[in-house]
Amino acid sequence: MKILVIEDDTVISELICMNLEAAGYEPLPLFDGVSAAQGITEGTFDDAALALVDVMLPGKDGFALMEDLQAAQIPVIYLTARDDVLSKVHGLKSGAEDYIVKPFEILELLVRMEKVLKRTGRGRERICVRDVVIDLKEHSVTKAGVRVNLKPMEYELLVTLAQGRNVAFSREELLNRLWGTDYVGETRTVDVHIGQLRKKLDFHDVIRTISKTGYRLEDMG
Amino acid sequence: MKLRFKVSLITAAALFIGSAVSGAAVIYQSAYYNRAKTVESYEQQTKAAAHIVGKELEYELMAHFTDATLASYYDYVLQKYAPSHYILVEGGEVVCNRTSYELADPTDIRWSERSVIQKSEDRYLLLVGRAVPVAGAKEYTLILIQDITAVYEDIYRQSLFCAGICAGAELLAALLAFAAVRRSLSPLRELQRAAQDISGGRLERRADVRTRDEIGMLAVSFNEMAERIEEQVEALSQESERRRQMLGSLTHELKTPMTSIMGYADSLLHVNLREEQKERALRHIHEECGRISRLGSKLMNLLGMYDNDSICMEEVPVAELLNSVARAEEAHLQGKGMTLRCCCEMGTRRMDRDLFESLLINLIDNGIKASPAGGVIALTAAGEQITVQDWGCGIPAQEISKVTEAFYMVDKARSRREGGSGLGLALSEKIAQLHGAELKIESMVGEGTTVRIVFYKTFTD
Repeated sequence: MKILVIEDDTVISELICMNLEAAGYEPLPLFDGVSAAQGITEGTFDDAALALVDVMLPGKDGFALMEDLQAAQIPVIYLTARDDVLSKVHGLKSGAEDYIVKPFEILELLVRMEKVLKRTGRGRERICVRDVVIDLKEHSVTKAGVRVNLKPMEYELLVTLAQGRNVAFSREELLNRLWGTDYVGETRTVDVHIGQLRKKLDFHDVIRTISKTGYRLEDMG
Repeated sequence: MKLRFKVSLITAAALFIGSAVSGAAVIYQSAYYNRAKTVESYEQQTKAAAHIVGKELEYELMAHFTDATLASYYDYVLQKYAPSHYILVEGGEVVCNRTSYELADPTDIRWSERSVIQKSEDRYLLLVGRAVPVAGAKEYTLILIQDITAVYEDIYRQSLFCAGICAGAELLAALLAFAAVRRSLSPLRELQRAAQDISGGRLERRADVRTRDEIGMLAVSFNEMAERIEEQVEALSQESERRRQMLGSLTHELKTPMTSIMGYADSLLHVNLREEQKERALRHIHEECGRISRLGSKLMNLLGMYDNDSICMEEVPVAELLNSVARAEEAHLQGKGMTLRCCCEMGTRRMDRDLFESLLINLIDNGIKASPAGGVIALTAAGEQITVQDWGCGIPAQEISKVTEAFYMVDKARSRREGGSGLGLALSEKIAQLHGAELKIESMVGEGTTVRIVFYKTFTD
């Protein structure tokens, strides 16, 4: 899935691209507003599912790019160092799907992107991890073509880990995300479900325990 | 007590003392004169009477008179020639008394020449005696006893009258003094109100006093002081506004490297990266930390320059300065295969050598960044200006006014690649200002940039 990264700071651009790549996306970095606008209007990036846009860009700023991006029907998430309310309101009012203030956490960026993709109907229908295929439409999981029976929470856990592949989730994060903040349970619950997933999918070396952090689904393919 | 009461009171007291003393002196003098006149006139009268009585007494006849006849004769003579209140004394005995008084001691010879004023009960009596010139054996003395209380009463009345006049004049003078003092002190009230207004925050308030006396001068000084204060407060608030803006830009500017550092650190901790990605992430963290550190030291420079004590002005030969700048930039220029053309037609100039050198180096660095490899930078000092010119990419017209703002970068990506922090021209402008000069930037996109450091002729440090 192609993601446009319009960011003039090469270091930050590389940071975003590096992480998007790890999470299974295909980032397309662009470094200034003018060339971005040109590419978008020429239809070069029509297959892009989402654009991450810095507000302050040389040539043509992020707000000015909105028109072109909307015309190309590419949803926009602004990434900016400007955290004043007015800029946020302006950004969201102009039609952006989300507004993320720098500095941000990688996981937060990935989750927000996932939500925007889902909301705009561009979410992934299938996620492949090695020989395991997760069908998000049918809520089914197959391993080497054979259907694997997962309990609802096990399925949700697998989807969360697979969507943020190569990114570590803490036990608390998983607990909050899947069982909800009101769930009065122990982080042991997460461990139990992880154990089940590993056993059912033979993911002992795929879902790795990261010491002091939590779990990570690793797949560099 | 209010000043105007104090001053009026002191004036009135001084007036009172002055008029009382002079009034008393005048009254005393006139009383003395009146009394002396009265005494003198009675003395003249007695003398004349004594003379006539002496002439009229007929001694041959008197020798034949009996005592009773003699007494009648004396009485007759005195009544005829000296009709006032006289006593005639002969040889220590009263021979005739036409007064209502008795002589205590007729033998007292005091009466012969002197006059005496006696006070008996509350009456003043004048006693004047004169020897009667007689051509016989007998010695007569004529004594006048006159009640002169009226003279003293006159003196008393005059004193009262004079004191009354004095008091009236005094009252009038006091009122006049009060009015005059009040009038000349009234600008003080205006000054006080102005001072209150100013301390209440109305810094533009001035005292409206137009007199030319000391208070007027005070008001002029007061207004000058208020002017100074207003200027300084204004300067201070501008300064703090500038610093606030700069701090804002700084926080913003820190966000970029912070985002990178936090992001890469986050990735290293949580994301399954390939080995070469891990290395790149670490390298980026290292570089961004270096950027923050450089930003810090440049910022310290910029802030340090607001306190002028670290600046050391001296006469510097400009040619020497340009040479050392050229030496410092040699390596940098060679790196891009560029040349620096120096031209100096300036003698010496007062400046802080280190600061000015860093200003020129900064401008030349900018020129090098903007120029293509193998280009030329011209450094010229002539007349009242030093010029740094390059034939590089130039600055878009709409950006020129912003380039001296702290943290402003025309092309962020490129200038970061070259290691810029966006502080260079802000620093340069600050240094120029410290030397009484102005940075004038002229540029055309694609043709190059000329930065002129123009010195004001009037500058003295």
